[in-house]
Amino acid sequence: MDIRKLFVKKENEKAKPAQVIVNMVLALAAIYLFFMLSLKRLDMKLDFSLLWKFRIRYLQGYKTTVMLSIVSLILSLVIGFISAIGSRSNILPISYISRIYVQFIRGTPMIMQVYLFFYIVGTAWGISNRFLAGVLILSIFEGAYISEIFRGGIESIDGTQLEAAKAIGLEPGQTMRLVILPQIIKRTLPSLAGQFASIIKDSSLLSLISVIELTQTSREVSATNFAVFEVYMFLGLLYLTLTFPISMFTKYLEKRFSYENRT
Amino acid sequence: MKIELKSVTKSFSDRNEVLRDITVEEDFGALAIIGPSGSGKSTLLRILGGLILPTSGEVIIDGQRLQFEEKYLIGHRRNVGFVFQAKGLFNHLTGRQNITMPLIHVHGYGKKEADDVADMLLERFGLMNDADKLPAELSGGQQQRIAIARAVATRPKLLLLDEPTSALDPELTNEVLDMIKELRNEGLNIILVTHEMGFAKKACDKIFFLYEGRLLERGSSYEFFSSPKTPQSAAFLSKILEWNV
Ligand SMILES: Nc1ncnc2c1ncn2[C@@H]1O[C@H](COP(=O)(O)OP(=O)(O)OP(=O)(O)O)[C@@H](O)[C@H]1O
Ligand SMILES: [Mg+2]
Repeated sequence: MDIRKLFVKKENEKAKPAQVIVNMVLALAAIYLFFMLSLKRLDMKLDFSLLWKFRIRYLQGYKTTVMLSIVSLILSLVIGFISAIGSRSNILPISYISRIYVQFIRGTPMIMQVYLFFYIVGTAWGISNRFLAGVLILSIFEGAYISEIFRGGIESIDGTQLEAAKAIGLEPGQTMRLVILPQIIKRTLPSLAGQFASIIKDSSLLSLISVIELTQTSREVSATNFAVFEVYMFLGLLYLTLTFPISMFTKYLEKRFSYENRT
Repeated sequence: MKIELKSVTKSFSDRNEVLRDITVEEDFGALAIIGPSGSGKSTLLRILGGLILPTSGEVIIDGQRLQFEEKYLIGHRRNVGFVFQAKGLFNHLTGRQNITMPLIHVHGYGKKEADDVADMLLERFGLMNDADKLPAELSGGQQQRIAIARAVATRPKLLLLDEPTSALDPELTNEVLDMIKELRNEGLNIILVTHEMGFAKKACDKIFFLYEGRLLERGSSYEFFSSPKTPQSAAFLSKILEWNV
């Protein structure tokens, strides 16, 4: 048997199940080896049992990250939608505010925004609840990206669809509700799902303002037991339990979406 | 049905006039609007359908003068059917939902009533197998027939069609034209923009010939095709019929 067949799939074909298993194991083994070698060079042994006694705090942090992400997702969808509609508005001040907002947020690092907004939102407006401040900051940040996703969705709607809506006698509000929104949602769902994964990861930066989510919890744990390797490997694993399913879901949506749009 | 146009003009922004001073009065059952590309056919049809406003002039359909304000026009659009060249079906809705949506949300039908109307039409035009598919899953001919079914489901007195077959292969063209003919035979008034001269000649009683925004020739389609009266219409016909068998 040709040994290459085990590792190389045919162009334009899916890998066979046996190929998938063998090669996935190989890839994981290679990564594992790299980590082990690194540890060996440092002469360290991993001991994950050190983390067990922090389980309550981890659970709390995990819950906070999930809550933070879900609430921020909802709020950033609202902000993003308003901003996307706003940027297309014929009323210039609204349009400019929306565009400046998107440009500013997307053009500057989040870490800077976290600090800046924390002082504006937190101090100037007296929002002392860190969770709330975190949600606001994260939503404002993600809203700009979601705004662009929605704007792309709106622009991808064929002009004839809008003309047809007009022709059957829909009023503008009905056109929005019955034609534009459902089409945008369908088209942007894969990107929005992907953005949700980003929200989860980006929420880690809220540790900077001491929102006690997963990353902050890990920082605190590692400060007491100095098990940096274990703590951060475990942290990565925890984020993956959230982002991996979403990434699979995104792939599924993309596939379905491309099917429905074949012509 | 009778339409009257009085000095209708249309220009987009500061460009040349797309329609120039069209004044005409015509009784028709099926009216074909023909003419070279860019002559203003779609623009005229859209004005008749209340989708765009003329720059000046009056349009009177069956004695009713179109008032060019949105509120009135929404009502007008609800009373006529409009079919586009292609892609006029809502692509997030199935064939049946495309038909029921205007019935439910514009004409106040209940879900059940609307489904009954849709099924009746789908059955009648041999579209039952396509009822639950999305437009992207249908052939161009099936899409156009569903678009026509949607347009007539609300029982309009007038159906406007803008080149309903020009995006279709010849064999699909016929199934769509047959459907239009059948609706015409039932007494539905039709105005269609078309390049299908056979259909314009045999199935339409009246013709408008547009040329560079002007209504150069009009009247009975039989006369138009047997003896075009202007050099432009003669040239247009000989060009378009050049490869006809
Ligand atoms: N929304 C618009 N804005 C600017 N110009 C337009 C617009 N719609 C149409 N036009 C112009 O008006 C002219 C007539 O267009 P129209 O679509 O009515 O022609 P047509 O006779 O339907 O042509 P075709 O056979 O190619 O469909 C064209 O020159 C076109 O570029
Ligand atoms: Mg046209």
